[in-house]
Amino acid sequence: MGFHQISVKVNGNDEVVTVSSNMTLLRMLRESLALTGTKNGCAAGECGACTVMLNGEPVNSCMVLAVEVDGQEITTIEGLAKDGQLDIVQKTIIEKGGVQCGFCTPGMLISARALLNRNPHPTEEQVVEALVGNLCRCTGYSRIIESVQAAAERS
Amino acid sequence: MANTDTKPGTMNPVGKSVQRLDVMEKVTGAAHYTDDIPFGNALLYGRVKRSTVAHGLIKRIDVSKAKALPGVKVVVTGEDFPNLIGLYLKDKTVFARDRVRFVGEAIAAVAATSEEIAEKAIDLIEVDIEPLPAVFDAEFGASKDAPLIHPDLANYECPNFIFPVPGTNISNHFKIRKGNTEEAFKKCAVIMEKKFRVPHVQHVPIEPHIAVAQVEPDGDVTVWAASQSPFSQRSSFAKALGVSESKIRVIAGYVGGGFGCKAGVTMENVAVALASKSGGRPVKVRLTREEEFFTNFVRQGLIINLKIGCDAQGNVLAMENNQWWDGGASTEYGVNITRAGGYNSSGPFDIPNITTNAMCVYTNHPIGGAYRGFGMSELHAGIIQVMDMLAEKIGMDKVEFLKRNAIQGGDFNVTGMKMHPVGLQECIDKVAKELNFSVKEKASSPTKRRGKGIGIVWKAPSMPPNAGSSAEVRLNEDGSVTVSVGGQEIGQGTFTVMAQIAAEALGVAYEMVKIEGPVDTRYSPYEWQTVASRLTWSMGNAVRRAAEDARKNILEMVAEAWGENPANLDIKNGYVVSMKSEESISLKNIVVYGIPRPGDQGWIGGPVLGRGTFMPSYVTNLDKDTGQGARAVVHYTTGCQGIDIEIDTETGKIEIIKAVSVFDVGKAINPDLVKAQIEGGFIQGMSSAIFEEMKLVNGVMKNPSFVDYRIATTADLPRENIAMFVETAQDDGPWGARGIGEHPMTPTIGVLANAIYDAVGVRVSNPPLSAEKIYLAMLEAGVVS
Amino acid sequence: MTSAHPGLPEFDYVKPAGLKEASQFLAQHAPEARPFSGGTDTFVRMRDGFFNPKYLVDVKGLEGTRVLKIDEKEGLTIGAAIPMNRVVAFAEASRYPLLVEAAKSVASYQLRSRATIIGNICNASPAGDTIGACLAYQGVLNIHGVDGPKTLPLNGFFTGPGKNLLKPGDIVLSITLPVPPKGHAGRYIKLGRNRLSDLSIVGISAMGVKDSSTKSGYKFHLAIASVAPVPFIPAKAEEILANNALNTETIILAAQAAMDAVTPIDDVRGSAQYRKFMVRNLVNRAVTEIMQKLSA
Ligand SMILES: Cc1cc2nc3c(=O)[nH]c(=O)nc-3n(C[C@H](O)[C@H](O)[C@H](O)COP(=O)(O)OP(=O)(O)OC[C@H]3O[C@@H](n4cnc5c(N)ncnc54)[C@H](O)[C@@H]3O)c2cc1C
Repeated sequence: MGFHQISVKVNGNDEVVTVSSNMTLLRMLRESLALTGTKNGCAAGECGACTVMLNGEPVNSCMVLAVEVDGQEITTIEGLAKDGQLDIVQKTIIEKGGVQCGFCTPGMLISARALLNRNPHPTEEQVVEALVGNLCRCTGYSRIIESVQAAAERS
Repeated sequence: MANTDTKPGTMNPVGKSVQRLDVMEKVTGAAHYTDDIPFGNALLYGRVKRSTVAHGLIKRIDVSKAKALPGVKVVVTGEDFPNLIGLYLKDKTVFARDRVRFVGEAIAAVAATSEEIAEKAIDLIEVDIEPLPAVFDAEFGASKDAPLIHPDLANYECPNFIFPVPGTNISNHFKIRKGNTEEAFKKCAVIMEKKFRVPHVQHVPIEPHIAVAQVEPDGDVTVWAASQSPFSQRSSFAKALGVSESKIRVIAGYVGGGFGCKAGVTMENVAVALASKSGGRPVKVRLTREEEFFTNFVRQGLIINLKIGCDAQGNVLAMENNQWWDGGASTEYGVNITRAGGYNSSGPFDIPNITTNAMCVYTNHPIGGAYRGFGMSELHAGIIQVMDMLAEKIGMDKVEFLKRNAIQGGDFNVTGMKMHPVGLQECIDKVAKELNFSVKEKASSPTKRRGKGIGIVWKAPSMPPNAGSSAEVRLNEDGSVTVSVGGQEIGQGTFTVMAQIAAEALGVAYEMVKIEGPVDTRYSPYEWQTVASRLTWSMGNAVRRAAEDARKNILEMVAEAWGENPANLDIKNGYVVSMKSEESISLKNIVVYGIPRPGDQGWIGGPVLGRGTFMPSYVTNLDKDTGQGARAVVHYTTGCQGIDIEIDTETGKIEIIKAVSVFDVGKAINPDLVKAQIEGGFIQGMSSAIFEEMKLVNGVMKNPSFVDYRIATTADLPRENIAMFVETAQDDGPWGARGIGEHPMTPTIGVLANAIYDAVGVRVSNPPLSAEKIYLAMLEAGVVS
Repeated sequence: MTSAHPGLPEFDYVKPAGLKEASQFLAQHAPEARPFSGGTDTFVRMRDGFFNPKYLVDVKGLEGTRVLKIDEKEGLTIGAAIPMNRVVAFAEASRYPLLVEAAKSVASYQLRSRATIIGNICNASPAGDTIGACLAYQGVLNIHGVDGPKTLPLNGFFTGPGKNLLKPGDIVLSITLPVPPKGHAGRYIKLGRNRLSDLSIVGISAMGVKDSSTKSGYKFHLAIASVAPVPFIPAKAEEILANNALNTETIILAAQAAMDAVTPIDDVRGSAQYRKFMVRNLVNRAVTEIMQKLSA
């Protein structure tokens, strides 16, 4: 099986990583770069727990090969807060009580941040659509949806 | 470091919606779950060879090719682990030995230097199985004609409250014989009888099961696991390996959702088995999402036949309740869920005459486990519907019917236990009011139909009579407080609630309290399990006692230093104050170094450490033949749910306009967390009621992925999901609190079915209450053509 | 039952420099080499063990795959490397409202950051949501094979579930959707178990336009997902809508004709019986809504 050396910017840092052909972006982040905030919930593009931003757009990192991100930019949950300041979506999800077990939270927040980047003032239905690929079994979602709306109002 | 003296703090936090303790870690990705722990290059990866046959005799297992594959370090099979294990009934081994009993059962396992190699090695293991006739229906399984799945049932070890029937597939037969059912039915004006089938469903935590095990040179075993029950896992591992508990250590970090499936032991045993032969290298086993669906404990299916009668005034007089629980290939919690199905079989109704047969039946399906509600969603699915049918038949207002028959404090319930005060009437009133229940509302379009449903539930913690809790409270130099517990933060917010309880009992601000984690059976105080909605009540009592113990030590120390009576002292906002002398002293430093006696004459006090334990002492056993006894359980949480829906007659799709859930929680230690449990629980209940079913065909699950097994998403929510509570204090709960974790999802199947009936006049009674089922039922009934 | 692989099985990732090389590599290593675009079908099928490629050939860098453009004469061309979200966000794509609506119905936003329309087509699943729209818009595939470039109309491209007319070495570079008739209206109704994001139990693609050459004065293109081995065009229903005065009764007749023509199967998402009724009810709904749009 082939190995490839790739260069990738992750949360603003330049990284050079050697990856096998079958290594997913998810595995590279967790195993090669020790960025374990990105979660593995299904490895099949279904649950959204592994959502990260690839050049600003959210992707299921289990559905992207590591070798495909050569020369690209990745943002993970660890890169959301800037200079010790939580992102507004992190603040509002805390305030609204949208966190329980926390396993879906990183992917959920990446989807939320990406939504607000492309659409700073989404309607409720647009929030619902943007988060439909992030499964949560604890909260019943409504507090998460409210938190994204609250973040939009405040930014 | 911020000066803790000037930090604004939340005093008397019990009853306040303080912010969760664990959120900073969880929103930044810093929270460590088991899969996030680094183990370095020594780590081996385990994979499991599983049965593809539902029932059969193992004729040959050949692992030689797997062993020869470079990178493979360990291969284990059933031969290596002969001990019988099981939480109640000891009826299974870690790996199938002579016989396989369900598709997905572990036959062998491999540990290798990478997951890919382990996966390849699994494919190289050859297994020959001679198929046997199998059982895929619990009612058939209980009959004389069914092939026996456990011919050795008579020889299995089991506790004295589980009643297997040797020579059959019945692993537990629990009976209620209360009053005279036969006579009472003769007095009924109306009798309704209906049979229901509730399918198998899965828990679906977003974090799949994971465990890492390592054996130390002295033979001690450490297991890191996503676990709801580190202590009971410890004892289970000890039994599987035939060693004592002290040789095992379980470390359990954050859990990415449990809902019951991470209680007891499933795949964790495989990691332990592999590690026991890996020469000290840690071994990680992680279920794929697919394995999570078809190999993990399931919410077992239920077939239930209910016959209930009432008099002309609407008083329910009699119930006959026959239950066949599809316990699966062997039992873990299943036999006890069946017991719960029996001793709760009346639902929250005052019924003088009851005959119940609750049977747990071996089948060739996945093994039944605990799932949020512990049988109560399945049981109430039927009861809520039959009660609705009865009310309609005698022409009584549904709310009035429920209120007339709802159980009350002082009633002697189904097992003869005298009920403690319950606020069920108030719950019903609140739901009826909030939902405008008596008003028939108009649908939003001519192709839609509108309807409402209502129902009530109860649930007691289902646990051994002597499930215990313990806690330690330590104070630090800066006046902050560290609380050690053995219960688990699985998302429900228990660490937050424990911090509130400790702060309140001690007299410090909530923000000064930290809960020690991860739970580690070597250092953490004992806790039975994080199940049964029991922590706020049981562990809460232990924490409260530990905090009070610490408080007593502090007050005695200061009293001695000041020459005062401890009764005149209090702790307020981190200061000991005297109500007599009005003196005050900060907790800082004195809680570790003590207080000097005047004139350099030595020191008083020293490090403050409070200890507290709790175990109910009053739960009695039930008579084997009648199910009667003085006190079957510790208490009941009761509640009511109502749902207002619209059905699209062109597709059968349900849209929930409004859902209202009201539960009697005794005391809401953290009102917002209570509401969060109720909201989330409702959505899980709705999801299971509308979408979920393990499609088992000849024992094979046909939909083991999120693509095929759908759960609710952001797009499937009610327009309004309203959560409320009432507070009728529990005599032995901390500040009166009792549990609420499981209850919110238990009414939903039945209530939704009632709403569907109200909307379209057709009873679609067996979940999933899918659009397809509703449409085809409307078609058959001529509602649509 | 095969159990899914925990990650992805081993293979070699190949990123060819040019089209010729790519087609040759694929042809030489058939069937062990497979092209991929977004990978969202490919990876899932590799985990499940349905695909066992030795080589995965990434087509996204190849010439002609990154195109997303509108041409007043030729219409809309969408390259194989263009994920669905980019199509949806492309302002000019709004001239193809049926396609945009269908693309937005696929899975989740983050999956659509990778999933492509070309991948959806080449995957040839009867459930593919964007296929019906591409059929209704008379799409033509631009392909590079061992013998060089060629084109294939989408109509007739599908030969069975997961099967199509592509030959070893063929790489679909893009699809061109001709300029749609002026003033047309479209509607994609996807019935899933969940309101959004599920695969379709049935998916109705409908396009209608005023047309003086038909008796009814309207022309409709219909395509239905998940009801036959290939994306299904209910020709009889289309005829009824063209040949009769367009009123409620005609729409009912057409919907019934569609229901009678489909040959669905029972699967985990729904039974054949339910699917048939849904075809009738939702064709009716789609056509009715289009008529409302056209007369607005
Ligand atoms: C969780 C999940 C949900 C999904 N939900 C939906 C849904 O709701 N609706 C739906 O329609 N689909 C759905 N899909 C399927 C899939 O996402 C779509 O079919 C998608 O459009 C495929 O595009 P792709 O670029 O990712 O395909 P790829 O995986 O790259 O390719 C798919 C197939 O086409 C072939 N192929 C790809 N590119 C070329 C090319 N340029 N030339 C020749 N052959 C090629 C590949 O060999 C493969 O056989 C879902 C998938 C997942 C994982």
